[in-house]
Amino acid sequence: MVSDIVSIPKRFFKALSNLRTGIILLLLVVIASALGTFILQRPATDPDKLQAAYSPATLQWLDRLSLTDVFHAWWFLALLGLLSLSIIFVSIERFPNAWRFYARPYRKTDAHFRTGLQTKAELPIKNAGDGLNAADRVLQKLHWPVERIAAGDQTSLYSERHRFSVMAVYVIHASLLLIFAGGIVDGILGYSGYLMLRKGQTSSVIELRNGQKKELPFGIKCYEAGQENYADGSPKKWWSKLAVVQDGREIKTKEIVVNDPLVHRGLRFYQASYGPTGVEGVKVVATPTGGTAAREVTLRLNETVELDPTTTVTLAEFIPDFFIRDNQVFKRSDDVVNPAFRLEIKKAGGDKPATQWIFPAYNPMGQGQESDYHFEYRDLQMGYFTGLEVSHEPGQWLVWAGCVLMGVGLFVAFYMVHMRLWVVALPDARGKLVLWIGGQANKNKDRFEQKFEEIVESIRSELDRASIAPRSARKEEEAELTLAAVK
Amino acid sequence: MATRARVVRMETPATTGSNALLVLVGLGVAFLLITALLGAAKSGGPLFNESNLLYVALIFYAGAGALYMGFGVTGVAKYVKFASVATAIGFTANTLAVAHRWYLAGRPPFASIYEMLLSFVWTVAALTLITEKKFGVKIIGSITMPLAVVCVILMQLLPSEVRPLVPALQSTWLHVHVTLAMLSYAACAVSFALAMMFLIKDRFPTETFLALTSALVSAVYLAIVATRFEKWGGLSVTAWDAKEKSDVFLGRGVRLFVTVPDLGWLFVMAAVASLVPLLFYALARAQKNDSYYGLANKSIFVGVLLQVVVLAAFVLRVRDASYASPYQEGLYPTSLAASPFILGGLVTGVFASLLYMMLLWRRSDLEVLLPSADTLDRVTYNTICIAFPLLTGMIATGAYWANRTWGSYWSWDPKETWAAITWLVYAGYLHMRITRGWRGRRAAYFAILGFGVVIFTFLGVTYLLPGLHAYA
Repeated sequence: MVSDIVSIPKRFFKALSNLRTGIILLLLVVIASALGTFILQRPATDPDKLQAAYSPATLQWLDRLSLTDVFHAWWFLALLGLLSLSIIFVSIERFPNAWRFYARPYRKTDAHFRTGLQTKAELPIKNAGDGLNAADRVLQKLHWPVERIAAGDQTSLYSERHRFSVMAVYVIHASLLLIFAGGIVDGILGYSGYLMLRKGQTSSVIELRNGQKKELPFGIKCYEAGQENYADGSPKKWWSKLAVVQDGREIKTKEIVVNDPLVHRGLRFYQASYGPTGVEGVKVVATPTGGTAAREVTLRLNETVELDPTTTVTLAEFIPDFFIRDNQVFKRSDDVVNPAFRLEIKKAGGDKPATQWIFPAYNPMGQGQESDYHFEYRDLQMGYFTGLEVSHEPGQWLVWAGCVLMGVGLFVAFYMVHMRLWVVALPDARGKLVLWIGGQANKNKDRFEQKFEEIVESIRSELDRASIAPRSARKEEEAELTLAAVK
Repeated sequence: MATRARVVRMETPATTGSNALLVLVGLGVAFLLITALLGAAKSGGPLFNESNLLYVALIFYAGAGALYMGFGVTGVAKYVKFASVATAIGFTANTLAVAHRWYLAGRPPFASIYEMLLSFVWTVAALTLITEKKFGVKIIGSITMPLAVVCVILMQLLPSEVRPLVPALQSTWLHVHVTLAMLSYAACAVSFALAMMFLIKDRFPTETFLALTSALVSAVYLAIVATRFEKWGGLSVTAWDAKEKSDVFLGRGVRLFVTVPDLGWLFVMAAVASLVPLLFYALARAQKNDSYYGLANKSIFVGVLLQVVVLAAFVLRVRDASYASPYQEGLYPTSLAASPFILGGLVTGVFASLLYMMLLWRRSDLEVLLPSADTLDRVTYNTICIAFPLLTGMIATGAYWANRTWGSYWSWDPKETWAAITWLVYAGYLHMRITRGWRGRRAAYFAILGFGVVIFTFLGVTYLLPGLHAYA
């Protein structure tokens, strides 16, 4: 019984550390992702569109299987989790062997090993030491680090390059896990939302994707925002001048555009949209009664503007489409086709403000109760908003680190070849002394074979040179001796 | 020994007739060039503009494709020389077209599906020349050049004016991302061609190629019939606004369709005809009677003729004509440009069938011409080793750019998801090959599947599964 309980995690490990399980999980992820692109997905698609596309019964089933939101479904996340576990377990299963191979490379050249090796060559030599020295010189010149291995009374050379490339596959798998980890961190700690600001407005409350509101520890103020167009009218640029405001102080300002967000304390504010909010107020020219000092003022709804130290004016009401009955102004619709504005003019010390109406379609001049000012309609004051996408993704740095690591790992794994060479002097089948050279590469074997042949050729010519060299060296010695004798 | 003897035997008579194809292709290219030149001179526009250059590229690519296929059929080495020269000239014209557009737009041509195809064809041609010169895979052009021709034809039909970049595309990352995408997709295309050649060299049964070709053609025609067949035998195509150079829209994302009368029946006939070889194949398999294969091959031949008729009828009837629409009163014009995918499907069908017939008639000669199966297998793997890191880079730069633009590095957008699926498929290939030692056929199937996914990600997702990635 006990052994059964122990064996469950063991069996789980065994199942997941199998490459076949990994590939099956990978296929399942592929199928699920493909389904997620073919079936309309919940948060992105309007509920109306979903209902139009599928019959109620189908939609109910799709919802029940969370096929309308595959990428956030528990079973999809579980699949990704199992895939990560599988990557980890497969790596754990294979790592010890790979590490042994990496940490203690096989340097010896015993007979059994020599027969097993595929790439090898033999060069005739006169004496073991000279042969090995020649090979040593050639390899050093080609920047192969050479080790001398002594086994009993026999010395051999061992040389290798790019041994680390055998570990690259673990780097790649680790980088993938790093990316997943970043995704998980963002799934738990990250959030994203939307912030809509009018010009001049400051806000610290964003609306999250799920409709909830979230208060930020600082406010964002929008000074200006705008759109630039190409000659053909298509949008060229959206921009917003933003400031970070904390405790009434401005900490940071930045003009953001579509590809360049504002970043503050791990929160990023992106330019997402720009557009009119509708009529925000009215521009009027105010002239004092009997005076000439006319001035243009912009009135926004419920905002009070000082005309002179004793007089203020407020836009108290805006009706987009009005009609008059019984001397009263009523609203007909929300379309801005026939607007009306109600102004309240207040005098310091006076108890009741004077009311004036402006009906631009009939008369640009204000009409109503007498006051110290005349008002003449100029223009509608349109309001614009800038839409900011807000996101907090603390895990993104793990993702980028993973991407860089994966790039390095893939480069090493695909393009750096672990190459090894063994050189030893021994008698061949006929008993003649030869320099035995063996080589191995873990990939691109045919290209390695070319390289191997080049190296063998270099050693051969080095051996030839060495066999001539001693004589010429002796001659020089003799020459020096004669010179000394002459002196 | 037997194959050797065959080669010798076929090469001797071939020398006499070997100039016939060269002369034919040469004359064809010259004729088309002169007509194009006359047309350009008559219209009085600038001679070296992008569309003319692209047309020159098209002519030379088509000539090169014909010569490569001629080489495949006859084995005359001379053809390959001329084919590479034609490819190189086409490639030069293509490069100039890219440069011209780059100069006009003031940015690399990566912003629309038209520009992406322009860059894609350029990369495919470059890789074809490289594979031929460096790896000695001479026959590769007979698969990649038809692919290039289909792409250039598609491009002639897509809206091609230089559009200013929308705000989201104004980023250096656009260029990095798209360059990586084009390079990796082109490498995948080459690995696909190599995998197909491996199957030929590996004595993959001709009958299975028959079944696959027939299945591909049937899928094209059945898809068209299923989505476009209208009542009383019409074929519905999108209406085309010649002035705006765009489809006619009824509302947001709702295209206006017009019905071409009687054309639907022709498509139904072609669909049925393309299913016939598949049925004979199934019969041969079920009854273990090889004589059905002969019937299947004959019916493929009939099918090709019918496909050519359908293609001609489609081109003649849809090119600049007006038809009634079942959705709105009045006659509306349509154009070939309004149905790039039907046309692309038809041309692909004809090419696939022709390639199969080339294989059917000249298989043993083809096998002699190809490098050894081992080499093909290894070179396929090497191209995927190039494609995979590029694919990874494409996804990573795309994620980084999305993070700067949309505020999230991954939003499960269809294009993103399919790019990830492509990556996973090739990751599967690499795992099976490296740790399971998958070589040969299974690896080749995987490479072919991978390219299928690439094509779907590149073109299918853009047109079938729109999302954030709306530009291309």
